[in-house]
Amino acid sequence: MEALTIIRPESLSLSSEQVRALMPYFLVFGGIMLATLLAVVKGIKPKWPVFLLAVATAVVGVVASANLIPDATIGMFNGMMVSDSYSHFFNVIFMASAGITILASLRYLDREQLQHPEYYVLVLLSALGMMLMTSALDLIVIFIALEIMSLAVYVLVGFRRTDKKSNEAAMKYFILGSAASAILLYGAALLYGATQSTNIHEILKFTQAQPAGMTPLFTLGVWLVMIGFLFKVASVPFHMWMPDVYEGAPAPVTGFMTTGLKAAAFASFMRFFISMGYGTTLSATLQAHIHDILWVSAVLTMIVGNVIALTQTNLKRMLAYSSIAHSGYLLVGLLAGSGTPGGYSAVVFYLVAYAIMNLGAFIILTVISNREDTGLNLHDVSGLASRSPWLSFAMAVFLFSMAGIPPTAGFAAKYMLFYSAIQAHETPLVIISVLCSSISVYYYLRVLVYMYMREPVGSAPASRVSMWSALAVALMVAMTLQFGVVPARLVEVTKRAVASL
Amino acid sequence: MDISPVFFYVFAALAIGFSLSVILKKNPVGNAFSLVMVFFAFAGIYAILGAHLIAALQVLVYAGAIMVLFIFVIMLLNADEPSFDMGRSHIGIKIGAGTLCAILFCTFVWAIKESPINIPAGRFTPEAIQASGGNTQVVSELMFSEYILPFELTSVLLLAAIVGAVAIAKRKLGKN
Repeated sequence: MEALTIIRPESLSLSSEQVRALMPYFLVFGGIMLATLLAVVKGIKPKWPVFLLAVATAVVGVVASANLIPDATIGMFNGMMVSDSYSHFFNVIFMASAGITILASLRYLDREQLQHPEYYVLVLLSALGMMLMTSALDLIVIFIALEIMSLAVYVLVGFRRTDKKSNEAAMKYFILGSAASAILLYGAALLYGATQSTNIHEILKFTQAQPAGMTPLFTLGVWLVMIGFLFKVASVPFHMWMPDVYEGAPAPVTGFMTTGLKAAAFASFMRFFISMGYGTTLSATLQAHIHDILWVSAVLTMIVGNVIALTQTNLKRMLAYSSIAHSGYLLVGLLAGSGTPGGYSAVVFYLVAYAIMNLGAFIILTVISNREDTGLNLHDVSGLASRSPWLSFAMAVFLFSMAGIPPTAGFAAKYMLFYSAIQAHETPLVIISVLCSSISVYYYLRVLVYMYMREPVGSAPASRVSMWSALAVALMVAMTLQFGVVPARLVEVTKRAVASL
Repeated sequence: MDISPVFFYVFAALAIGFSLSVILKKNPVGNAFSLVMVFFAFAGIYAILGAHLIAALQVLVYAGAIMVLFIFVIMLLNADEPSFDMGRSHIGIKIGAGTLCAILFCTFVWAIKESPINIPAGRFTPEAIQASGGNTQVVSELMFSEYILPFELTSVLLLAAIVGAVAIAKRKLGKN
């Protein structure tokens, strides 16, 4: 019996291209380490140095990743990680949403007396986990990256430690999230048993090589991994955690979760979805099964999300249910992706548009809320237009965008998503989506009616907007309108990103 | 070296039985000790699989170090039985959950029975591992070459956990 050759020299060193491709990760991690150190240096107040360093790290991360989007695909670490346009495109989203969350949090943390430097470090750590998750090609790495991302967010959700709701949300999220991670891990183990690999490209090769190898064990593994992802994107019936968590979490963290976390889960889900051979090499029966079950899940997600959102009076809860509904639309895009020329680019575009408008809406909620996130009910925003006209205008833009009314990014995104679904002959699904989408117009516009057409209740003073939050909101409004009017450039980039998959 | 599958079933039954007792018992110290037994049963299963290093580490790290921490936490929290009493859940929920669990269990059994079990042996047969220096050497070489990325990322995960623990624990209530 000859000895195993385990250590291969090529897996022990990184070429210069690989180092270049890893730069965003190194830079962000360096920023995190430096921020952690700054937070504990004696004699200085950590607030400003850590805040500025965190913002700088996010900006550097955005620039470094954006630079790498046009580069060729490079595999790393024995194919466990890949640097392609797709991953760097999403890295830009994650770092941007982390940066904007940090900008919007400064005054919020002061007001809530929570100004601790760990907050900024955790936001960056979570974003780093998202970056790694999107570029991971191995189920083990996906799992670890998912845990990095989730652990940081569990703590952020419970950051208002003296608040009962925040505690409850963190606890619920932690327990359910851990269970979902365990299910994902179990699925990965079964897939390893069925295909002898945890690498998603190897699994794809396996399905191509032997269609007979798609045993029930394989199917079970695929389903358990998918359930793990479906939990993270909160599709029905794995959505129960979301409203409570969104309501209990500090408002800027909720904004971060709806954008970063959801985009990361979908980005990784899409990689897995394609790599198990959906639409290409998967056996017809298994494909039909997956299609039908996801079809039902998408429809239920849209209906439950939109209908329950109708009855909510708390804005955070309403946006939570609307976030569930948006997961449903994204699942529609996922189902249609393999049957259209544009592929999955409509889903990517939708994720970008959704991230922009939702981040903006949550920054505004952060600004207008009172202490301990109270004062976010519908009647609290009545007459907001007379108090803070600019905030109301921005909120109106975001709400129009979420409802999918031109000329906003939300309209362009929905148009492309539904168009791709029609091309893929998913007409019944599109009809249901459009109907659900028209339900959503009611609860989005109801907020507008309260803001513009109702008299203010009591005499609340105009909310003070910090320079940083104003900057972030202005940026989001500009982007929402820009991608709504001229989406072509973004479409090009999303197509290139998806082509590199 | 062949080990009778009876051992597997014994250890598996122990693991499942004590896992149930972890979640069903209401005495926290009892839960902790059931958990120790689960860890020991896992160590037994690892040993049957020929992963002696993992079995030893399982006993040392989980059943040893981590359990001591658990017991410390239980002692410091001074949690008493009533705080574990969450009241009775609705009978309908119980029946529904039980039915779903049974269906899930049957699906698993079916899937595993239907799948061919003549999966070809991978690279790491006991003989090959013996020839290249034993479990410890092979595991450590793998960890620092092929699996270097997950290994390093685990340290990032631990950093996240440490920062998170500090963030939750250090703040004084009501003080900025």
